[in-house]
Amino acid sequence: MNLVITPTMIGQVVISGLLAGSLYALVALGLGLIFGIMRVLNVAHGPILMLGAYTTYWLFSTVELDPYLSLLVSMPLMFVLGVLLQKLFVRHVVDAPGLSSLLLTFGVAIAIVNIAQLAFTSNLRSVESLTGSFALGPFAFSKARVVACGFAVGITAAAFLFLQKTRLGKAMRAVSQNREIAQVCGINVQRIHMLAFGIASALAAAGGSLVAVMVAIQPGMGQVYTVKSFVVIVLGGVGHYPGALVGGLLLGLVEQLSSLFLTTQVNEAVAYIVLVLVLLLRPTGLFPGRSQ
Amino acid sequence: MTRGFLAGLGVLLVALALYPAVATGYGLRVMLQLFMWIALAQSWNLISGLTGYVSFGHVAFFGMGAYTTGILIVKLGWVWGVAALAGGLTAAGLAFVIGWPCLRLKGPYFAISMLGLNEALRVLASYFEGLTGGGYGLSLPTLDASGPIYYAMGGVAVAVTALVHLIVTSRFGLRLMTIREDEVAAEAMGIATFRYKLYAFVLSAVGPGIVGGLSARDHGYIEPISVFPIVTTITMIVMVLVGGKGTIWGPVLGATLLFSFQELVWSHFISLHQLLFGAIMVAMVLAMPRGILGALRQRYGLPRTI
Repeated sequence: MNLVITPTMIGQVVISGLLAGSLYALVALGLGLIFGIMRVLNVAHGPILMLGAYTTYWLFSTVELDPYLSLLVSMPLMFVLGVLLQKLFVRHVVDAPGLSSLLLTFGVAIAIVNIAQLAFTSNLRSVESLTGSFALGPFAFSKARVVACGFAVGITAAAFLFLQKTRLGKAMRAVSQNREIAQVCGINVQRIHMLAFGIASALAAAGGSLVAVMVAIQPGMGQVYTVKSFVVIVLGGVGHYPGALVGGLLLGLVEQLSSLFLTTQVNEAVAYIVLVLVLLLRPTGLFPGRSQ
Repeated sequence: MTRGFLAGLGVLLVALALYPAVATGYGLRVMLQLFMWIALAQSWNLISGLTGYVSFGHVAFFGMGAYTTGILIVKLGWVWGVAALAGGLTAAGLAFVIGWPCLRLKGPYFAISMLGLNEALRVLASYFEGLTGGGYGLSLPTLDASGPIYYAMGGVAVAVTALVHLIVTSRFGLRLMTIREDEVAAEAMGIATFRYKLYAFVLSAVGPGIVGGLSARDHGYIEPISVFPIVTTITMIVMVLVGGKGTIWGPVLGATLLFSFQELVWSHFISLHQLLFGAIMVAMVLAMPRGILGALRQRYGLPRTI
């Protein structure tokens, strides 16, 4: 525990928080997309991130592919998996009472984790590619985190441009706003749902590939990200996509700030306390969206 | 309930009560675990089956009860029976604190909050080493109490099942089921939905709390990983889904079926456990969302009190 807190330390913590937060925002945007469009909370989002991380590890350890290039493999791969999940399973419970879709994706999540255990064992894996850090004045930036942040910002920006500018993106937002009316306007809702699930899973995979360089990879690593992404969505306001960005950065900051006073071991508990506090004090999120 | 059913139930209970007189140590332990699973599954059914609010972290109450009981026995020298009851109380208290913010909202907030709660508690249990022993765990004084724990565990299983029966046949139960079917309509009919959800949730935490305490006493040793495993929550959910969520006897049936299979067959394929559970969960949701008893009830027009 640190007893003396200097301005440099606070600066360092803010920087680390923003770097971590950009990744949270990237992953949470995917979860929020599915939730906004289908009202389905995909509990398997974190495990899909884990699969993305393993893809990167596997390509790195077999053909020594650069972890950042492996994004080009992990994202399309998980896109396909997401589309399949939607087509085979989730499609049947989109309009069922809330319980069904939660239980279904939960079942999928634990099955994925078990398959990963069988395929990759539970040993901790790591991708040692970009180590060391940049120094700038009194601050140090981990290289891996800076690069990851750059990619996260780039991919998130691309996703936003897609949602804002393209016809397909507009169709997705239309379905998110009102499914019946979107259908009447000639939008193929089933196709949009599959696409949304695919894009969301690709975003999770991107998050997984980027964290693969920084943290230990193991089959159980994903579940935390489901919870954290949900915290981010709640912070930003459900159905309010730009809110996810602010929510992600905020969560990163709060976690890092709390590490000044507590050990990083309690990080998970911090995210959880943030969730409970937001639900208690401001259940509509910091930036209330249109819906709920 | 028909007279024949009641008579059969009475005979079964008497037989179970006499069982320890003839049982081997192994047999007693197996039955004790079955009772534990019935109590856990039935408690999950109480909140998730009746109100439709799915709890992904019910093992948190089990762990809370285990730690309360363990700490009371080790640090304060309490008798284990009383300490386990205290475990039920602290679990209920925790449910109240968590349910207050998380049940006010409709939708998945509650489910995901419960998923996080378990992780958060496990981390906190490791963090507060002075009280919980941290990662080293907490060793309870040795004591052979399999017999009394058998009766206590069985008592909890019977009590929780009786409680669910009582609820399902009462106005309180009707309110909960109205919330499950259509919460907005329930509100429009003047049901204070938040209050009844919270009551159901707090009640559903008591059983796992006591059972967690009894289990801690039975094992004699607790550590964060052993009392907060997510697989326990998964097992509870699968048991209820198989038996029939929202029914009275579904969780008992599901727990008995799954536990027997687990002991006889699946214990040989331990590495496939979660994959099987995941597959069962997906299959039940898609093919038989009401479970075995629910499907039978619908088909043969059986009463709600099965």
